[in-house]
Amino acid sequence: MWLIVWGAVGGIVTPRVFLRKNLDVSRAGLAGASIGAATGPIGLLPLWIFAPRLRTSWNILAGSTILAILAWAFALADPHNACITNGRFVASLLTNGFIMGIIYGLMALGLSLIFSILGVVSFAHGEFYMVGGMVVYYFTTSWFPGSHPILGLVAACVITFAIGIAFERIFLQPMYKGKVDRPIEYGILVTFGLAFFIQYFVQAIAGANPVKARRYFDFPILRIPSMADPWLIKTSKGNLTLLDTVSISNPRLTAALISVLMLGLLLYFLYHTWTGKALRAVSQDRQAAAVAGINPELMNTLAFALGGMLAALSGATLVQAFSWVPQVGMLPALRSFVIIVLGGLGSLPGAFLGGLIVGIIEAAGTGCVPDPTRASAYIPAYGMIVLILVLLLKPTGFFGRQQ
Amino acid sequence: MKKFKILYFLAILCAVILAFGGGSLSAADCPIKIGGLAPLSAPGAVTGGEAMRDAMNIAVDEINAQGGVLGCEVQLIVADTEGLPEKGTAVMEKLISQDNVVAVGGGYHSSVGVAAGRVAHNHRVPVVFAETWSDEITNSELPEVFRIAPLSSEVADFQSKFATTVPGIKTVAMIVENTDFGRPNAEASVKVLEKAGIKSAMFTVDIGTQDFAGIVERIKAQSPDMIFVILTGEASYNFVQQAADAGIGPQNLPMLCDQVALESKAYWTNVPDGNFGFMMRVGLPPQLYNEVAKSFLESYKKRTGKKVPESYAFEAYDSIRILLQAVREAGSTDAEAIIGALEKIKYEGALGTITFPYNRSNPPEKSNMDAKWWHQFPEPAVTMVQYQKSGEDSTEAPVVYPAKYKTGDAVFVK
Repeated sequence: MWLIVWGAVGGIVTPRVFLRKNLDVSRAGLAGASIGAATGPIGLLPLWIFAPRLRTSWNILAGSTILAILAWAFALADPHNACITNGRFVASLLTNGFIMGIIYGLMALGLSLIFSILGVVSFAHGEFYMVGGMVVYYFTTSWFPGSHPILGLVAACVITFAIGIAFERIFLQPMYKGKVDRPIEYGILVTFGLAFFIQYFVQAIAGANPVKARRYFDFPILRIPSMADPWLIKTSKGNLTLLDTVSISNPRLTAALISVLMLGLLLYFLYHTWTGKALRAVSQDRQAAAVAGINPELMNTLAFALGGMLAALSGATLVQAFSWVPQVGMLPALRSFVIIVLGGLGSLPGAFLGGLIVGIIEAAGTGCVPDPTRASAYIPAYGMIVLILVLLLKPTGFFGRQQ
Repeated sequence: MKKFKILYFLAILCAVILAFGGGSLSAADCPIKIGGLAPLSAPGAVTGGEAMRDAMNIAVDEINAQGGVLGCEVQLIVADTEGLPEKGTAVMEKLISQDNVVAVGGGYHSSVGVAAGRVAHNHRVPVVFAETWSDEITNSELPEVFRIAPLSSEVADFQSKFATTVPGIKTVAMIVENTDFGRPNAEASVKVLEKAGIKSAMFTVDIGTQDFAGIVERIKAQSPDMIFVILTGEASYNFVQQAADAGIGPQNLPMLCDQVALESKAYWTNVPDGNFGFMMRVGLPPQLYNEVAKSFLESYKKRTGKKVPESYAFEAYDSIRILLQAVREAGSTDAEAIIGALEKIKYEGALGTITFPYNRSNPPEKSNMDAKWWHQFPEPAVTMVQYQKSGEDSTEAPVVYPAKYKTGDAVFVK
């Protein structure tokens, strides 16, 4: 209650104080709320009296203090909770959350890329994710039985990239050419249509039975430093235990490593190639980019295809971890929307950071909520709570740009 | 005089309606339409739903090959419930109001059964549920609702008694679907285990949950001696494999998997590390199949290419055939006549001889029985089966419990 009341007071009063003193108010709300929640009147009064230039480090410090207070209150309220008493449990939980966060981030990155270039929120993002997984499964079991799933992953990228190009060229190009009266609504409806089409088309040809690709790689059986006391690393085919503490499942670790690799390649592409730089230029200023000789329409096509491919890549890496059905993309798509708003619409680093935050919050929520009968059922809610808090305090998200 | 003419006209109209419109009391409009409920899309248990759809189609094809019922061809209309009660309500409304079915069979998810049963009651259409276990379905003593699946509380009793045979068992962790199937089953199991001095911890998730990482860690932290997976559909596959990846799968400690584990191909595709998993099978074990079951087995093999029908396929097959036998015995498609025939029926089916001994003329209360036995087939056989070889077909896996049907010893891993 203390946190909420002083956070609200700080969030409401600080911008007014700064406005009265004719200072920049863009960061005053967030700073006031975080400092108020962390320190109460002790921090707020000097902030109002001296009205100093606000620094990001103050928000980070205040945020950390709030987390510490919450952890302390949680420990007092539920002293027997495994999140308080069991360090191994917490370490495993956070590691798994971090790993899932990387994969979420990659998927959301695709959505953010599409939005930043095309200004369209693709409602078919979850279906690209689903198609990625389906292609890996059918590639390795039906089309080329026995082939390695990595080849299936490459096939998933190629197929979804091609779908993205075809769809953008046929259905989204009319938006930019003035052939559509209400382009924003058209963009929403046409991507919704694509989502339904892909979902039911896949269900019609592949059926609705759950499928799953085999693990990309089995862990070698390791006992380090010794067979008798493998305190450093212990593996089974499907699991890795680090320092006798952190337990990581093979499919998730593989998926995260592939995601990191792809992220590296994507960053290289965006920052070190002419095409990547052109994409970023279009996202920053479409007209200026066109004047500089960049074809924005070509960049639109590339962005949509690349964005869909990134979602498919996430699906292709996770089809070894989860059972796959044509409806599997609905929840990840919803999560991606939360992540890109959290990170700031159109911001690529924001999307990745948002993914990490949502991954960790979901894992912590599932593991630490005292009522075990509801902890997992609230998974979609954890990200939403963070989203609401961020939108209240910083409506543009972490890295969003003011219009 | 004018008033007299109107009354005369109305009397003639009533006579015409009784003569033609009321014909369903003695004869049927052809074709006779029967509804079939099955989950054919996620988050429902699609694997089970597709098996049920095939089984119901076989039942109708067989009846039609024998000349149909009351001289009419039978038409089956299968509706996809998606495993969701709201969808179950909608498709039941559609089957009754638009498709004009005279009765409904099938049904997999309990929450769908609870919702669809109420719709059947409101429209006064008989329904025989095939695989919906919740006690609530028969507890409410709706005249139109019958069931040939076992009661959830009886299954909970069965699985919990089996758990007491696990050597050194002290705690059971249950991962439970937050539905009319999951919660009552888990709560009843907790009571039975408690009586046997076994502690239990319950973890609830929503239907269709995919990522169990946090819950798996929580269960792992409890160090249970056994895990009950009270989930349906792909969620159960997801949980079992994720638990196996974390080192608490069927190869690490005794785990009771959901019935969809009986679908061997789907199980091994989705749970490659699922060896030594236990699962319950409703119906007689293959070595005790009767003639009806053997005949159905042949038809099912031909249609699906599978080696043997699963529990829910047997139940779905019987749910349609028993309804059509009731129509035949009633000599009419009138709901009241079908319900009356079902209450008196003695049907020789793939599950055995099915009767509904507790009904309007013999309510359960009269025999000091719980209301749950209303319109309930009292003796569906339930057995515990265990995979003991990786990739094994569930039909070849040994029955390990109860002693009456046992074909092999259970392997309790630790």
